[in-house]
Amino acid sequence: MARTVLDAAPAMPALFARAALTARGRGGDLPDTRLARVGVTADPAQLADYARVCRFPLSDALPLTFPHVLAFPLQVALMTDRAFPLALPGLVHVRNRIEADRPIGVGEALDLEVWAERFATHRSGATVDLCASVSAGGAEVWRSRSTYLARGASAPEGAPASDVDVEVGALERPAAQWRVPDDAGRRYAKVSGDVNPIHLSGLTAKAFGFKRAIAHGMWVKARALAALSGRLPDAVAVDVAFRKPLFLPSTVTLSTEEAGGGWDLAVRNATAGTEHLIGTVRPT
Amino acid sequence: MAAPTRKAAIVGGNRIPFARSNGAYARASNQDMLTATLDGLVARFGLQGQQVGEVVAGAVLKHARDFNLTRESVLGSRLSAATPAYDVQQACGTGLEAAVLVANKIALGQIESGIAGGTDTTSDAPVAVNEDLRRVLMELNRAKTVQQRLKALAGLRPGQLAPEIPRNAEPRTGLAMGDHAAITAREWEIGREEQDELTVRSHQALAAAYDRGFFDDLVTPFLGLSRDANLRPDTSVEKLAKLKPVFGQGEGATMTAGNSTPLTDGASAVLLASDEWAAERDLPVLAHLVDAQTAAVDYVHGGEGLLMAPAYAVPVLLERNGLTLQDFDFYEVHEAFASTVLATLKAWESPAFCKEKLGLDAPLGSIDRSKLNVNGSSLAAGHPFAATGGRIVATLAKLLHEAGPGKRGLISICAAGGQGVVAILES
Repeated sequence: MARTVLDAAPAMPALFARAALTARGRGGDLPDTRLARVGVTADPAQLADYARVCRFPLSDALPLTFPHVLAFPLQVALMTDRAFPLALPGLVHVRNRIEADRPIGVGEALDLEVWAERFATHRSGATVDLCASVSAGGAEVWRSRSTYLARGASAPEGAPASDVDVEVGALERPAAQWRVPDDAGRRYAKVSGDVNPIHLSGLTAKAFGFKRAIAHGMWVKARALAALSGRLPDAVAVDVAFRKPLFLPSTVTLSTEEAGGGWDLAVRNATAGTEHLIGTVRPT
Repeated sequence: MAAPTRKAAIVGGNRIPFARSNGAYARASNQDMLTATLDGLVARFGLQGQQVGEVVAGAVLKHARDFNLTRESVLGSRLSAATPAYDVQQACGTGLEAAVLVANKIALGQIESGIAGGTDTTSDAPVAVNEDLRRVLMELNRAKTVQQRLKALAGLRPGQLAPEIPRNAEPRTGLAMGDHAAITAREWEIGREEQDELTVRSHQALAAAYDRGFFDDLVTPFLGLSRDANLRPDTSVEKLAKLKPVFGQGEGATMTAGNSTPLTDGASAVLLASDEWAAERDLPVLAHLVDAQTAAVDYVHGGEGLLMAPAYAVPVLLERNGLTLQDFDFYEVHEAFASTVLATLKAWESPAFCKEKLGLDAPLGSIDRSKLNVNGSSLAAGHPFAATGGRIVATLAKLLHEAGPGKRGLISICAAGGQGVVAILES
């Protein structure tokens, strides 16, 4: 296993440009690489911006989804490296599981490590998991697993079947309605650094095969969790499946239902009922 | 027949450290700060998921979107969502008035427990549309025909783009609160040095209270602050003497940025309950809120100082409770400005003021200064308007509890609009 410690977060626009240029000619198995950063603290200004865009209260604990923002540039660096078998353009985020052992304080120094694993066979291609582990004071406090689908790609011989489903209840009663404006992708890109062109504008999204710009899945997840502020266990696992893309602009509903000591969630189109996100929040 | 009443218990309090304007809390909203403060209180007293009788809080500088600030904060907190809440606003008296309202409902048996609080930010202050532009927009909204719309739009002027920024000034006099206080300081001949001395004592007392751990169970760190950002333990009369006056004019100006409270961000909350509710949960009773009184003065046309209303409220409260001004073990007189505290004390000592203004045969007299603001007050901690009352109630309740049973404390808080809120706590 090769572990590389980076001094700073990689520059995301450059990575996405490189991803587009080096999309062709990839293949083989997952690299055995781990990228890491040590002693990272959240930038208070970025945190305040992120909290506002996702509707989290600004508090002394990091929003549950915020460590993802810290780890994501490393994951993109890993995926854009030539050794990574799948092309980043076209990868679709289909599932994200976050586990937090306790709330993380805003001032805590965090060690981040990311890697890829579980190259798996999916009915319409292959999936790969990008994992992140966040430690404070030498103990792991937060981990995540983001599953990406590459349509038409194939996993190596003997790969396991991918696991992208999350089971939730009927969730028939909407708790809230959100008007998601057409600049929602640009706003989240600014605070998260995720400048994937499919989220930024209709034109750039069309270049990658989407009819309009789509909302970031992690923004939808963050906003759903923000709606449950004060109602989440301290030690918690949040597992969501991203179903159909949320095209911008849209009006969507959030449904919540108490389940298993936590919550089941669904974000759906307000008129058509199309499922954008379903998920579970469970105490651990 | 009047319903039997009981005295509400003060169980404890929580606040976040107060930050200077545009400092550590520059990006925090009133709702963020109040929610964090409630959650700190919830954690301290094991109220997760529990319903309390009512949460009452407010803010002085308030966005239009925050019409239900307290209820929204409750919904974002770890309290049960079935906890009712409402907002109050009585300028700098907001926090204490909230505590009185909660205590009164407890006294009447209408609720068994409640939380009183307040929050204010001058960093995330509401900025409104220019008043002229707002009129044009409202006219446009009322317009039904194209002609009416065009006529309304014709009222647009480039100058209307300048926003309306809140000022710490009295609407009826146009004077800043500090300018009002400077007039009072001059009238009562409050010297520069005694103001600076009071300021130094406030800083030293607050620092000492932090050092001995007094605030360990009253303050929860927030966004990197663990002590009030305004606190200057090493300040001195010599250092303060170097500051130039900022309020009042000419030779006689005595009020500086040092002996006036700075613009501050922060929030506080106090848990009140019936004795039974506290006992059932094995929670302490630090003190009881015995009685309270408000007063107001005509500072516009009546010639009284803007911040002098507490001088009028206290004698009414003393009379009703059969007490003299000397019957207290602690005095918490809110330090809006050092000169305000000194002018209030001087008024109570003045035979002329007590006779002519208060209608008393004898002056209320002087107080033992060693019992005044013993753990510091607003000059050192800062003064996020609506949060000051909660800070003082929790501080005094704990002081009384430490001193033992049967001790008594007086709270006096002046407020904009020529108002004052005062209260008595007893251990």
